Amino acid sequence: MRLVVRTVSELCITVGTVIVLFVVYVLFWTGVKADHVMDDQIDQLEEQWARGSVRPTASGAPGASASGPPEPAPYRSGKPFAIMYIPRLGFTWNKPVLEGTSTGTLKKGLGHYARTARLGQKGNFSVAGHRRTYGDPFKDFPRLRRGDAVVLTDGTTWFTYRIDKGPYRTVPTDIEVIDPVPRKSGYTREGRYLTLTTCEPEWGHSHRLIVWAHLDATQPVEAGKPAALRR
Amino acid sequence: MSLVPWRYGRDGMYGWIWRHLPGNAWVKALISLALVVAVVYILFQYVFPWAEPLLPFGDVTVDNQ
Repeated sequence: MRLVVRTVSELCITVGTVIVLFVVYVLFWTGVKADHVMDDQIDQLEEQWARGSVRPTASGAPGASASGPPEPAPYRSGKPFAIMYIPRLGFTWNKPVLEGTSTGTLKKGLGHYARTARLGQKGNFSVAGHRRTYGDPFKDFPRLRRGDAVVLTDGTTWFTYRIDKGPYRTVPTDIEVIDPVPRKSGYTREGRYLTLTTCEPEWGHSHRLIVWAHLDATQPVEAGKPAALRR
Repeated sequence: MSLVPWRYGRDGMYGWIWRHLPGNAWVKALISLALVVAVVYILFQYVFPWAEPLLPFGDVTVDNQ
């Protein structure tokens, strides 16, 4: 009897300890890991851009080499291709944007929905990011307001998007929000749009938060940082 | 965890481990510490990364890919 009680209590203590450790892992350790990995991704991008291999000649698209300027290389799944800056989320807030929205990709940065438009192109450039865990990239998502800047760079150009519609709450099956002209966004014509998505509530998964933005300005990187990023 | 000397000679899971470790109390303490570190490492490196996606914090997309 004594043995049974002792064994049960030891098991309870063990399970409790494991749960506490798991909470530490989710709250703290994923953030430590993600910060490290995201810095790595940004370093990797900057190194790549410094080498000038932003547009590795379109070997993947043989048809495009015949005429006109070379097609930009397609985004490679799971690889970073841009850096995003949102001054509202903090002056030092910058995250890599990777191609694809798989679980593994979203651990390394923000994920670009693979079937949506390319950065700066006509259509809807859509990006998803963690609200909590893995560095909490979109923790302050509800603070985004109309007129806020979302700045991205792909190594050759700065793209400044302006938010038109503040956090819009929807359900996870509402895939219309990343359509080329999202219905509930208020946009009526085709344009160069940006959509950000994250989860709502903060720790839940019952809803999603969305913001929409339009392309406001572009400038080559040689021209320096866009106004939105200058202090 | 109750890897402490006053459990010595009594029953229970941790008591059993403690009794089966070699050496004197200091050596046992060191080995138990190493065991604890190993268990935590395995949890953080393999078990938690597997368990974490089962929780909903990663659902941030609208098409549930």
